[in-house]
Amino acid sequence: MRADLIYGSTGTRYLEPVGWVFAIMTFIFLVCAMGLGIFLVVESVPVLRSEGLGFWLGENWWVGESFGALPMICGSLIVTGLAIILVLPVALSGALFTSEYLPPSFRRKVKGVMELLAGVPGIIYGLLGVSFLTVGVKDALNLLDGNTLFTAGLLLAIMVLPTVLTLSEDALHSVSSEFREVAESLGLTKLQTALRVVLPQALPGIVGAVLLGIGRAMGETIAVMLVIGSLDRVPGFNIFVSGQTIPSKLGREAAEALGSGLHWNALMGLGLTLFIMVAILTFSGTFFIKRSSQ
Amino acid sequence: MNEITTEKIVLAFIGGVTFLIAALLFFILSTLFLKGVPVLHAGFLFEESGDFGRAGGIFYQSMGTLILMGVAVLLSLPVALGSVLFQTEYLETGKFKTFLTQLTYILNATPTILFGLVGYLLFGVYLDTGVSWVTGSLILAVMILPTLQVSIREAVEALPEKYREAGMALGLSRPTQIYRIILPQSFYGMVTGVLLGLARAAGETAAIMFTATTFSGIRLPQSFSDPVPTLQTHILVLAQEAANPESIAQAWGAGLVLLGLVFLLTLMAWIFRTRVVMESEL
Repeated sequence: MRADLIYGSTGTRYLEPVGWVFAIMTFIFLVCAMGLGIFLVVESVPVLRSEGLGFWLGENWWVGESFGALPMICGSLIVTGLAIILVLPVALSGALFTSEYLPPSFRRKVKGVMELLAGVPGIIYGLLGVSFLTVGVKDALNLLDGNTLFTAGLLLAIMVLPTVLTLSEDALHSVSSEFREVAESLGLTKLQTALRVVLPQALPGIVGAVLLGIGRAMGETIAVMLVIGSLDRVPGFNIFVSGQTIPSKLGREAAEALGSGLHWNALMGLGLTLFIMVAILTFSGTFFIKRSSQ
Repeated sequence: MNEITTEKIVLAFIGGVTFLIAALLFFILSTLFLKGVPVLHAGFLFEESGDFGRAGGIFYQSMGTLILMGVAVLLSLPVALGSVLFQTEYLETGKFKTFLTQLTYILNATPTILFGLVGYLLFGVYLDTGVSWVTGSLILAVMILPTLQVSIREAVEALPEKYREAGMALGLSRPTQIYRIILPQSFYGMVTGVLLGLARAAGETAAIMFTATTFSGIRLPQSFSDPVPTLQTHILVLAQEAANPESIAQAWGAGLVLLGLVFLLTLMAWIFRTRVVMESEL
């Protein structure tokens, strides 16, 4: 009876003072998280009203005249697409080798190093990119300028490699060992087991890992900003020219547009676009990872 | 026979790629080390930077980074702790709880520059804190909220059910139970969350570069409306002067210090995380 009073049976709605404190903290969290989305939408309304659909389709970003986000959207898609193509075979090979061939003690060490490296700040990659990658790309491909979409994609691929590798490895490793035993008892070799039994089982998890990694790549600002050349134009099919991604544009112009005017609204519109693109990737990523863990 | 050959070739390939990955990452770390160490002289950490960052040390920049990340965690911890305890101890499983969990994931995946943009508007303009360390700390606090929440939640949920049952059997009220059982038992989880949050805040550049920082002119903030110099933005400015060898050298030094800080915090977090696992296996 006493316990019922304190804990509240399912019918009662009594909350202790401490409970109210926790509820307020939850409310603050809710306001911060929802506020982010709401502000992005509300603040982009003026530019969407003045530009209409042209905001996403326009090619010219001239402050004071017109705001067209197409160069940045294309740039973001190209750079992240490039990063996927470059990172996928490498990370997958690494994950397969780590999960299926390395002894457990060694595997844990690899995982540890990967998780540590996943936390390396973007600015460090930016510094490495500025010092080595831009010069390397310029010399290797005989270009006039090493700050290209390709350089940015390559740098992003290196950056998300630890994340994608360790998450795909998780997916491979979580495949029940029964499958491996059955496959081997049927006479399949270790590689056949890995490629034809374990890999298909782990596929949703791997897709999820890649999507999450790509979400991170798409939102990276600093590293990309330093090596992409920051030139607003629709790049076409040539990836060896300077370009611009949404985050790099935001990073370059936020300081001068701070807080007021249509320029600021246009940047918020870009932010909203980026948010939607990343949200789609993240949602499908978690969807796949959940499916794989079932 | 043929299959065995193929198997060997493929194995050699993926083994080789794995080795290349290791070599690449080793290259990254060793480069940073080799480039950074020559710059580190005895007073590097405790000297003021001079000549637009080309000479001297990084004392005030380090202080700025520490101020921003420290204040951010102080602001974030109560909100994270409160919201997690509310979700685990008070809310019944349902749509609202799922929604809150989803929100944590969305916040975690949001590109950090968006925190800078919206945070500046929300705090800098509407709360009128301007470009200052207060704005930066508030922005970072929101940014690391999911990191702290996830760690604390893991620790709380890892508590064996029998602890709660024992508390109930003793007739403890819910606040007493939280204060006496859940908080002490999930202490290590909280420390893990705090350390990972600090690491994340220390490595962040995009969210603070136009909302909280300055390159020169200010040492330590004298009021709430002063910006601070930070390690991250110091490196950013120096890295953009790629043609100037002195600037780049200083950037490597600062980069090494920053990376050392982030790695140290992450490693400490792991040590505490293993304690969490050990406790839950008792």
